[in-house]
Amino acid sequence: MSIASDMIRGHTDTIILAQLMESDSYGYKINRAIQEKTGGQYELKEATLYTAFRRLEQLGLITSYWGDETTGARRRYYSITQAGVNQYYQMLAEWEQSKQLIQQLISSS
Amino acid sequence: MEYKIREYMDRLFESAPRTQRAYELKIELTQNLIEKYYALVEEGKEPEDAFQITVGSIGDVRELFAQLEDDEQGNPVPQPVFYPQEQPNHKRALVRAVAIMLYILSVAPPIIMNGFFGEWGGSLGTVAMFAMIAGATGLLVYDKCTHQRDVRPVPGNVVEDFRQWQSRKSQKKHWIAAFNGAYWPLVLALYFLISFGTGKWHITWILFLIAPAVDVVVNTVLGAMMDQGREK
Repeated sequence: MSIASDMIRGHTDTIILAQLMESDSYGYKINRAIQEKTGGQYELKEATLYTAFRRLEQLGLITSYWGDETTGARRRYYSITQAGVNQYYQMLAEWEQSKQLIQQLISSS
Repeated sequence: MEYKIREYMDRLFESAPRTQRAYELKIELTQNLIEKYYALVEEGKEPEDAFQITVGSIGDVRELFAQLEDDEQGNPVPQPVFYPQEQPNHKRALVRAVAIMLYILSVAPPIIMNGFFGEWGGSLGTVAMFAMIAGATGLLVYDKCTHQRDVRPVPGNVVEDFRQWQSRKSQKKHWIAAFNGAYWPLVLALYFLISFGTGKWHITWILFLIAPAVDVVVNTVLGAMMDQGREK
Protein backbone atom coordinates (compact mmCIF):
# COMPACT_ATOMS: atom_id res chain seq x y z
CA MET A 1 0.00 0.00 0.00
CA SER A 2 2.73 2.49 0.96
CA ILE A 3 4.73 1.77 -2.21
CA ALA A 4 1.61 2.19 -4.33
CA SER A 5 0.86 5.45 -2.49
CA ASP A 6 4.27 6.82 -3.34
CA MET A 7 3.78 6.02 -7.00
CA ILE A 8 0.30 7.46 -7.12
CA ARG A 9 1.23 10.67 -5.27
CA GLY A 10 2.90 12.12 -8.35
CA HIS A 11 -0.42 11.86 -10.15
CA THR A 12 -2.64 13.54 -7.56
CA ASP A 13 -3.30 16.51 -9.85
CA THR A 14 -4.36 14.26 -12.73
CA ILE A 15 -6.63 12.25 -10.45
CA ILE A 16 -8.38 15.39 -9.19
CA LEU A 17 -8.73 16.85 -12.68
CA ALA A 18 -10.21 13.54 -13.86
CA GLN A 19 -12.86 13.78 -11.13
CA LEU A 20 -13.71 17.35 -12.10
CA MET A 21 -13.97 16.35 -15.77
CA GLU A 22 -17.14 14.51 -14.77
CA SER A 23 -18.75 17.35 -12.80
CA ASP A 24 -18.10 20.14 -10.29
CA SER A 25 -17.41 18.70 -6.87
CA TYR A 26 -16.16 19.40 -3.35
CA GLY A 27 -13.42 17.96 -1.14
CA TYR A 28 -15.18 15.13 0.62
CA LYS A 29 -17.16 14.04 -2.45
CA ILE A 30 -13.99 13.84 -4.57
CA ASN A 31 -12.19 11.74 -1.99
CA ARG A 32 -15.24 9.54 -1.64
CA ALA A 33 -15.36 8.98 -5.41
CA ILE A 34 -11.66 8.06 -5.45
CA GLN A 35 -12.24 5.58 -2.66
CA GLU A 36 -15.17 3.98 -4.45
CA LYS A 37 -13.36 3.82 -7.78
CA THR A 38 -10.49 1.89 -6.21
CA GLY A 39 -12.68 -0.34 -4.09
CA GLY A 40 -11.38 1.23 -0.89
CA GLN A 41 -7.73 0.62 -1.79
CA TYR A 42 -6.76 4.23 -2.19
CA GLU A 43 -7.73 7.47 -0.53
CA LEU A 44 -6.04 10.87 -0.47
CA LYS A 45 -5.05 12.44 2.81
CA GLU A 46 -7.00 15.66 3.38
CA ALA A 47 -3.79 17.69 3.55
CA THR A 48 -2.68 16.32 0.17
CA LEU A 49 -6.05 16.97 -1.40
CA TYR A 50 -6.32 20.59 -0.26
CA THR A 51 -2.70 21.35 -1.06
CA ALA A 52 -3.46 20.14 -4.60
CA PHE A 53 -6.61 22.30 -4.77
CA ARG A 54 -4.64 25.45 -3.94
CA ARG A 55 -1.90 24.56 -6.38
CA LEU A 56 -4.34 23.85 -9.23
CA GLU A 57 -6.25 27.03 -8.44
CA GLN A 58 -3.07 29.11 -8.57
CA LEU A 59 -2.20 27.54 -11.91
CA GLY A 60 -5.64 28.49 -13.22
CA LEU A 61 -6.58 24.88 -13.94
CA ILE A 62 -9.55 24.93 -11.57
CA THR A 63 -11.76 27.59 -9.98
CA SER A 64 -13.82 27.44 -6.81
CA TYR A 65 -17.08 28.87 -5.53
CA TRP A 66 -19.18 28.60 -2.39
CA GLY A 67 -22.28 26.50 -2.82
CA ASP A 68 -25.73 27.78 -1.95
CA GLU A 69 -26.77 25.08 0.52
CA THR A 70 -29.73 26.33 2.45
CA THR A 71 -29.21 24.00 5.38
CA GLY A 72 -25.94 23.52 7.23
CA ALA A 73 -22.55 24.88 6.24
CA ARG A 74 -21.82 26.09 2.73
CA ARG A 75 -19.57 23.82 0.68
CA ARG A 76 -16.72 25.03 -1.46
CA TYR A 77 -17.07 23.59 -4.93
CA TYR A 78 -14.35 23.22 -7.52
CA SER A 79 -14.78 23.47 -11.25
CA ILE A 80 -12.34 22.66 -14.04
CA THR A 81 -11.35 25.46 -16.45
CA GLN A 82 -10.61 25.16 -20.17
CA ALA A 83 -6.89 25.32 -19.34
CA GLY A 84 -7.53 22.51 -16.86
CA VAL A 85 -9.20 20.37 -19.51
CA ASN A 86 -6.24 20.88 -21.88
CA GLN A 87 -3.81 20.08 -19.08
CA TYR A 88 -5.75 16.94 -18.23
CA TYR A 89 -5.48 15.55 -21.77
CA GLN A 90 -1.80 16.40 -21.85
CA MET A 91 -1.19 14.61 -18.54
CA LEU A 92 -3.15 11.64 -19.80
CA ALA A 93 -1.01 11.42 -22.94
CA GLU A 94 2.17 11.73 -20.86
CA TRP A 95 1.00 8.94 -18.59
CA GLU A 96 0.28 6.63 -21.53
CA GLN A 97 3.78 7.27 -22.79
CA SER A 98 5.47 6.67 -19.43
CA LYS A 99 3.41 3.58 -18.80
CA GLN A 100 4.56 2.13 -22.09
CA LEU A 101 8.18 3.05 -21.46
CA ILE A 102 8.24 1.64 -17.94
CA GLN A 103 6.57 -1.51 -19.19
CA GLN A 104 9.29 -1.94 -21.78
CA LEU A 105 12.05 -1.19 -19.31
CA ILE A 106 11.01 -3.40 -16.42
CA SER A 107 9.75 -6.48 -18.24
CA SER A 108 12.28 -9.28 -18.36
CA SER A 109 12.55 -11.37 -21.45
CA MET B 1 -18.70 14.91 18.48
CA GLU B 2 -19.06 17.56 15.83
CA TYR B 3 -17.86 20.01 18.46
CA LYS B 4 -14.87 17.78 19.10
CA ILE B 5 -13.90 17.96 15.42
CA ARG B 6 -14.18 21.76 15.44
CA GLU B 7 -12.07 21.91 18.58
CA TYR B 8 -9.47 19.67 16.97
CA MET B 9 -9.35 21.93 13.91
CA ASP B 10 -8.99 25.03 16.09
CA ARG B 11 -5.92 23.51 17.69
CA LEU B 12 -4.54 22.29 14.38
CA PHE B 13 -4.84 25.75 12.81
CA GLU B 14 -3.11 27.50 15.69
CA SER B 15 0.14 27.11 13.78
CA ALA B 16 -1.36 28.24 10.46
CA PRO B 17 -0.71 31.77 9.19
CA ARG B 18 -3.35 34.34 10.14
CA THR B 19 -4.73 35.00 6.70
CA GLN B 20 -8.17 35.02 5.25
CA ARG B 21 -7.25 32.15 2.97
CA ALA B 22 -6.18 30.09 5.96
CA TYR B 23 -9.46 30.88 7.66
CA GLU B 24 -11.49 29.91 4.61
CA LEU B 25 -9.46 26.73 4.30
CA LYS B 26 -10.22 25.88 7.91
CA ILE B 27 -13.94 26.34 7.34
CA GLU B 28 -13.84 24.26 4.17
CA LEU B 29 -11.79 21.48 5.72
CA THR B 30 -13.88 21.34 8.90
CA GLN B 31 -17.10 21.16 6.91
CA ASN B 32 -15.80 18.28 4.78
CA LEU B 33 -14.45 16.39 7.81
CA ILE B 34 -17.77 16.64 9.59
CA GLU B 35 -19.49 15.24 6.52
CA LYS B 36 -16.96 12.42 6.45
CA TYR B 37 -17.49 11.74 10.13
CA TYR B 38 -21.26 11.38 9.71
CA ALA B 39 -20.79 9.10 6.71
CA LEU B 40 -18.59 6.84 8.86
CA VAL B 41 -21.13 6.78 11.67
CA GLU B 42 -23.82 5.85 9.16
CA GLU B 43 -21.67 2.93 8.02
CA GLY B 44 -21.93 1.68 11.58
CA LYS B 45 -18.70 2.94 13.17
CA GLU B 46 -18.67 3.83 16.84
CA PRO B 47 -18.59 7.65 17.29
CA GLU B 48 -15.16 7.56 18.95
CA ASP B 49 -13.70 5.34 16.19
CA ALA B 50 -15.26 7.51 13.50
CA PHE B 51 -13.66 10.56 15.10
CA GLN B 52 -10.24 8.89 15.20
CA ILE B 53 -10.47 7.81 11.56
CA THR B 54 -11.61 11.28 10.53
CA VAL B 55 -8.83 13.24 12.21
CA GLY B 56 -6.34 10.52 11.28
CA SER B 57 -7.14 11.03 7.60
CA ILE B 58 -6.05 14.68 7.64
CA GLY B 59 -2.38 13.78 7.27
CA ASP B 60 0.59 16.12 7.36
CA VAL B 61 -0.58 19.72 7.14
CA ARG B 62 2.89 21.30 7.09
CA GLU B 63 2.99 21.55 3.31
CA LEU B 64 -0.51 22.96 3.26
CA PHE B 65 0.40 25.66 5.80
CA ALA B 66 3.68 26.42 4.04
CA GLN B 67 1.67 27.02 0.90
CA LEU B 68 -0.54 29.47 2.77
CA GLU B 69 2.56 31.22 4.06
CA ASP B 70 3.82 31.70 0.51
CA ASP B 71 0.51 33.00 -0.64
CA GLU B 72 1.03 36.72 -0.87
CA GLN B 73 -2.52 37.37 -1.95
CA GLY B 74 -3.94 36.30 1.39
CA ASN B 75 -5.34 39.24 3.33
CA PRO B 76 -4.36 39.17 7.00
CA VAL B 77 -7.33 38.64 9.27
CA PRO B 78 -7.13 39.42 13.00
CA GLN B 79 -7.46 36.29 15.08
CA PRO B 80 -10.93 35.84 16.43
CA VAL B 81 -12.40 36.86 13.11
CA PHE B 82 -15.89 37.40 14.41
CA TYR B 83 -14.77 39.96 16.98
CA PRO B 84 -11.92 41.99 15.50
CA GLN B 85 -9.85 43.68 18.15
CA GLU B 86 -8.77 47.25 17.79
CA GLN B 87 -5.02 47.63 17.47
CA PRO B 88 -3.34 50.20 19.72
CA ASN B 89 -2.75 53.29 17.64
CA HIS B 90 -0.05 55.68 18.86
CA LYS B 91 -1.05 58.60 16.66
CA ARG B 92 -4.60 58.31 17.87
CA ALA B 93 -3.52 58.17 21.51
CA LEU B 94 -1.43 61.30 21.00
CA VAL B 95 -4.32 63.24 19.48
CA ARG B 96 -6.54 62.32 22.40
CA ALA B 97 -3.90 63.11 25.00
CA VAL B 98 -3.26 66.55 23.51
CA ALA B 99 -7.00 67.26 23.44
CA ILE B 100 -7.39 66.40 27.13
CA MET B 101 -4.29 68.39 28.01
CA LEU B 102 -5.78 71.42 26.27
CA TYR B 103 -8.99 71.08 28.28
CA ILE B 104 -7.10 71.00 31.55
CA LEU B 105 -4.77 73.86 30.67
CA SER B 106 -7.55 76.01 29.24
CA VAL B 107 -8.32 77.52 32.67
CA ALA B 108 -4.76 78.76 33.05
CA PRO B 109 -4.83 81.80 30.68
CA PRO B 110 -7.69 83.67 32.45
CA ILE B 111 -6.10 83.14 35.86
CA ILE B 112 -2.61 84.17 34.78
CA MET B 113 -3.68 87.07 32.55
CA ASN B 114 -6.02 88.39 35.20
CA GLY B 115 -3.23 88.31 37.78
CA PHE B 116 -0.79 90.23 35.57
CA PHE B 117 -2.95 92.65 33.62
CA GLY B 118 -6.13 93.01 35.66
CA GLU B 119 -9.57 93.23 34.06
CA TRP B 120 -8.39 93.80 30.47
CA GLY B 121 -5.97 90.88 30.60
CA GLY B 122 -8.67 88.69 32.13
CA SER B 123 -10.95 88.98 29.11
CA LEU B 124 -8.01 88.29 26.78
CA GLY B 125 -7.33 85.17 28.89
CA THR B 126 -10.94 84.12 28.48
CA VAL B 127 -10.64 84.36 24.71
CA ALA B 128 -7.51 82.19 24.91
CA MET B 129 -9.38 79.67 27.03
CA PHE B 130 -12.18 79.31 24.49
CA ALA B 131 -9.67 78.98 21.69
CA MET B 132 -8.07 76.08 23.58
CA ILE B 133 -11.41 74.39 24.29
CA ALA B 134 -12.42 74.78 20.65
CA GLY B 135 -9.12 73.32 19.53
CA ALA B 136 -9.42 70.36 21.87
CA THR B 137 -13.00 69.64 20.80
CA GLY B 138 -11.95 69.88 17.18
CA LEU B 139 -9.22 67.31 17.78
CA LEU B 140 -11.65 64.87 19.37
CA VAL B 141 -14.16 65.22 16.54
CA TYR B 142 -11.36 64.80 13.99
CA ASP B 143 -10.22 61.68 15.84
CA LYS B 144 -13.70 60.15 15.72
CA CYS B 145 -14.29 61.01 12.08
CA THR B 146 -10.98 59.74 10.72
CA HIS B 147 -11.20 56.38 12.43
CA GLN B 148 -14.27 54.84 10.92
CA ARG B 149 -14.06 51.15 10.20
CA ASP B 150 -13.41 50.90 6.50
CA VAL B 151 -16.06 49.11 4.50
CA ARG B 152 -14.60 47.08 1.66
CA PRO B 153 -17.29 45.66 -0.57
CA VAL B 154 -15.70 42.41 -1.71
CA PRO B 155 -18.54 40.07 -2.56
CA GLY B 156 -18.55 36.32 -2.77
CA ASN B 157 -17.27 34.78 0.42
CA VAL B 158 -18.48 34.01 3.85
CA VAL B 159 -15.96 36.04 5.81
CA GLU B 160 -16.50 39.25 3.87
CA ASP B 161 -20.27 38.84 3.99
CA PHE B 162 -20.09 38.62 7.73
CA ARG B 163 -17.76 41.58 8.02
CA GLN B 164 -19.97 43.81 5.91
CA TRP B 165 -22.98 42.89 7.94
CA GLN B 166 -21.05 43.70 11.08
CA SER B 167 -19.74 47.05 9.86
CA ARG B 168 -23.20 48.14 8.75
CA LYS B 169 -24.26 47.48 12.28
CA SER B 170 -21.42 49.49 13.80
CA GLN B 171 -21.85 52.45 11.44
CA LYS B 172 -24.98 53.35 13.29
CA LYS B 173 -23.13 53.42 16.58
CA HIS B 174 -20.36 55.43 14.99
CA TRP B 175 -22.38 58.61 14.45
CA ILE B 176 -23.96 58.47 17.85
CA ALA B 177 -20.54 58.00 19.42
CA ALA B 178 -19.19 61.00 17.47
CA PHE B 179 -22.01 63.16 18.77
CA ASN B 180 -21.58 61.96 22.35
CA GLY B 181 -17.87 62.67 22.21
CA ALA B 182 -18.33 66.29 21.19
CA TYR B 183 -21.48 67.10 23.11
CA TRP B 184 -20.35 67.62 26.71
CA PRO B 185 -17.23 69.62 25.92
CA LEU B 186 -19.43 71.90 23.83
CA VAL B 187 -21.92 72.30 26.66
CA LEU B 188 -19.09 73.22 29.00
CA ALA B 189 -17.72 75.74 26.51
CA LEU B 190 -21.18 77.27 26.07
CA TYR B 191 -21.59 77.52 29.84
CA PHE B 192 -18.37 79.50 30.24
CA LEU B 193 -19.14 81.62 27.20
CA ILE B 194 -22.54 82.68 28.52
CA SER B 195 -21.33 83.07 32.09
CA PHE B 196 -18.32 85.22 31.24
CA GLY B 197 -20.34 87.11 28.64
CA THR B 198 -23.26 88.00 30.87
CA GLY B 199 -21.64 87.68 34.28
CA LYS B 200 -24.82 86.04 35.58
CA TRP B 201 -23.10 83.06 37.20
CA HIS B 202 -25.97 82.62 39.64
CA ILE B 203 -28.36 81.49 36.88
CA THR B 204 -26.26 80.06 34.04
CA TRP B 205 -25.79 76.70 35.82
CA ILE B 206 -29.30 75.87 34.64
CA LEU B 207 -27.66 74.96 31.36
CA PHE B 208 -26.56 71.71 33.03
CA LEU B 209 -30.18 70.80 33.67
CA ILE B 210 -31.18 71.45 30.06
CA ALA B 211 -28.17 69.72 28.53
CA PRO B 212 -29.02 66.09 29.53
CA ALA B 213 -32.54 66.51 28.16
CA VAL B 214 -31.18 67.74 24.83
CA ASP B 215 -28.68 64.87 24.85
CA VAL B 216 -31.42 62.25 25.20
CA VAL B 217 -33.57 63.85 22.49
CA VAL B 218 -30.70 64.07 19.98
CA ASN B 219 -29.61 60.47 20.68
CA THR B 220 -33.12 59.19 20.11
CA VAL B 221 -33.53 61.16 16.88
CA LEU B 222 -30.12 60.00 15.60
CA GLY B 223 -30.92 56.39 16.45
CA ALA B 224 -34.26 56.56 14.65
CA MET B 225 -32.66 58.19 11.60
CA MET B 226 -29.99 55.50 11.36
CA ASP B 227 -32.56 52.70 11.60
CA GLN B 228 -34.56 54.28 8.81
CA GLY B 229 -31.49 54.71 6.64
CA ARG B 230 -30.61 51.06 7.09
CA GLU B 231 -34.01 49.79 6.05
CA LYS B 232 -33.85 51.61 2.72
